[in-house]
Amino acid sequence: MSREKKEDMQTLALTSDIRRSNIRTTIPTIDRKERTPKPAGDVCECAIIRSENFSLYYGSKVGVENITMDIYPCSVTAIIGPSGCGKSTFLRSINRMNDLIPHIRTEGKLLVDGHDIYDKRTNLVNLCQQVGMVFQKPNPFPKSIFDNVAYGPSLQGVRNKGELQNAVEQSLRAAALWDEVKDDLKKSALALSGGQQQRLCIARALATKPRVLLMDEPCSALDPIATGRIEDLMGQLQSTYTIVIVTHSMQQAARVSERAAFFCLGELIEYDRTSKIFENPSKKETEDYVTGRFG
Amino acid sequence: MNLSVRGKLDRVFTAATGLSVVLLTLVLVAILGPMVYRGSSAVFFQGTVEFRKMQRNLFGRGDEQLLHAEVAETEEFRRQVYDMIDGFKKGVDVEAMSEQAREIHRQFGQELRDKNLPADQYTKLRELTRQIRDKLDSAFHSQDIDEIQRMVAEVLKNADNPQLKDTSAEKLFAIARQFLQAARQIDLSKHHEYAAALREVEGILFHSETLPGLLGPRPGEPAAPLVMLRYGATRWDQAQALLDRFLWVQEWVEEKPGHPLVMKRRVRAESFPPSLRPLFAYVEQNAGKMLRPQRTVYWQFLIDDNVNSHYFGGIGPEILGTMLITVIGMLFVIPLGIISAAYLVECSSDGWTMRIIRMGINTLAGVPSIVFGLFGLAFFVLFLFPLLGFEPKPCILAASMTLAVLTLPVMIRASEEAIRAVPPSYKEGSLALGASRFHTFLAVTFPAALPGILTGVILSLSRIAGETAPILFTGAVSLGAVPHSVFAPTRTLSYGSYDMAVGDRLAMMVPHNQYGMVVALMMLILILNAAAILLRSRVFKKLRGQ
Repeated sequence: MSREKKEDMQTLALTSDIRRSNIRTTIPTIDRKERTPKPAGDVCECAIIRSENFSLYYGSKVGVENITMDIYPCSVTAIIGPSGCGKSTFLRSINRMNDLIPHIRTEGKLLVDGHDIYDKRTNLVNLCQQVGMVFQKPNPFPKSIFDNVAYGPSLQGVRNKGELQNAVEQSLRAAALWDEVKDDLKKSALALSGGQQQRLCIARALATKPRVLLMDEPCSALDPIATGRIEDLMGQLQSTYTIVIVTHSMQQAARVSERAAFFCLGELIEYDRTSKIFENPSKKETEDYVTGRFG
Repeated sequence: MNLSVRGKLDRVFTAATGLSVVLLTLVLVAILGPMVYRGSSAVFFQGTVEFRKMQRNLFGRGDEQLLHAEVAETEEFRRQVYDMIDGFKKGVDVEAMSEQAREIHRQFGQELRDKNLPADQYTKLRELTRQIRDKLDSAFHSQDIDEIQRMVAEVLKNADNPQLKDTSAEKLFAIARQFLQAARQIDLSKHHEYAAALREVEGILFHSETLPGLLGPRPGEPAAPLVMLRYGATRWDQAQALLDRFLWVQEWVEEKPGHPLVMKRRVRAESFPPSLRPLFAYVEQNAGKMLRPQRTVYWQFLIDDNVNSHYFGGIGPEILGTMLITVIGMLFVIPLGIISAAYLVECSSDGWTMRIIRMGINTLAGVPSIVFGLFGLAFFVLFLFPLLGFEPKPCILAASMTLAVLTLPVMIRASEEAIRAVPPSYKEGSLALGASRFHTFLAVTFPAALPGILTGVILSLSRIAGETAPILFTGAVSLGAVPHSVFAPTRTLSYGSYDMAVGDRLAMMVPHNQYGMVVALMMLILILNAAAILLRSRVFKKLRGQ
């Protein structure tokens, strides 16, 4: 490697270190249980994702029905509810991953950044780059770590080797994986542990520089330590990204999210600040669910 | 269930599976072992001096000086054989001797004309030699030894005639003396029997009109038109088979009337008078010295062209043709198979058209290969080629395309399974990053399915290299030039094996070449497969990150 490049890398590492330390100092993530959500008034009130009477049907079966909710930028929003209630369906509607399933039909509107994504003119490639997704099971491609993270940027047309390297490093740093893998970026991603693989998937999603990050039960296949690391990561990321997470674990929802939405049988029952949902829910179903009386 | 019963059952199961594996191995060894052993004798064998002579003359290999020295040494031992046979012939081969006498008489007439003798003297001498000749002729054809002695004595009376001294006519007396000597030793009533038996012996020792012999043609004899008749036994095993035929006569004898004939072996020497019997003992004892077997590694078997339709030489063009057809066939099969499989998995919904297509592919996999051969002839050679402006005749390209069609179902099915087995999460991950379906297939699904696709490649590779029926009419020939373009027909190992087996007695005469071809085919497929398997395991390891 040439000397200039090396210096470039060093300065880059330095700046991103500074950025990360800033994040660490500004966001109190250490004591997760005690963390109180920021009041809604502090963040930008205009919603980044707005669902207006959105419904999705699998043939004649109801996926989700009449969902109306706003998701605010730079925060973590949790979607909870029993199995089969449509949480994942709604989440996957936000980047149109449901399109793969034959015979689906949607009604109502789903706006991301003010554009109806179910409009015929929507550019799916742009949408996917704005709305990244992390899946339930870690699904790194059977390629090297570098190629995995560079997949998104190269899709966007980045061909320059140095640029790609920068993007990969930034993303891996943002996903808190850089220090563990920086020496063997050429290694196959499948050789990583489960937790590392999931963080790699987050890095891969971040590499396209999305504004929204959808997480579909990202920790359900991981052990508590790996889960903790991912949750820490979410805390760090929420200053820059809007995170929507579907989770089965109510403790996790309580730990990481500012707002929570309770889904049941394809309908949105209650959507409010997380503290309110868990401490003083206004609907009986919500109370039954969060106190463990059903589900 | 009782725990001990369960343990016993487990052990029985283990034993049964182990036994079946052992049985399978044994069967494989029993089938392949002898074949490989016989095939390897095409390369490793005891080569005789005739082999080295053949290699020098036909392929330009070996040191000429050394060969000459060696041939001279063997000739020394062979000369005795020639002498013995010639000596015996003097008493037996009367036709040849009368011909010789007639020739001498003609020669003598020429000499007389050259001397410009007076006319009356010339006529007198001519008359004299004609009388001698006729007398000798009747002596040759007589079966009574007393009569012969009288006639020869009459001929020899003229031996002192000064006018015949130092002329070619003297040779007549030499012949007469030799004949008398030989005639005293043999039973003249068996003249014709001996002559026939001698012809057979000469056929085995030198060569007959169709079969090569033990020692090859005698020096000075004009070269036979068939190349294989110009050399003796080139291999020691061949020499020993010929020696056996030389020493023993095989006969079908009716032992009891009405019963099936029985094969009997009888010493050949017994069919000759005692004067020739030493020949058999001599040849048996000195066969090694006359042929000088040496351990030979004829690796050029794999690159040489054959001579006299596989009697000599190797299988180079066959190997080249097989590889050409295989490689070109794979060039068609691999892309077509992968694209079809990708369509079946990625782009199609499960409608009834799909079901029909899939059924068609499955049926195609079971169609007999000869049907594909006829299809290839009708479609590629006779229909497609003229349409594209090529000459409608069998060629490598047509053969490769026919084989490609034949193996396409195998390739499609293996690739389809492989692509279907790629976890859908890979595809989702790629689509969620904004990739198109085409890009997803190219960048994620295909590399992940590569090991399985390579399995399909291995399967179709073996099939293409080994099939015979589809290329019968589309591109294989048994004899012909080494192909120089894909529009020329070629020889192949599979078709060559078939051709040799059904062709003529040749396969019986050179079984090592036939088995050599079969084993070479097996080895070629084995090597191609090993390469593909190695590639697959490397791809697999790379994907797994080991």
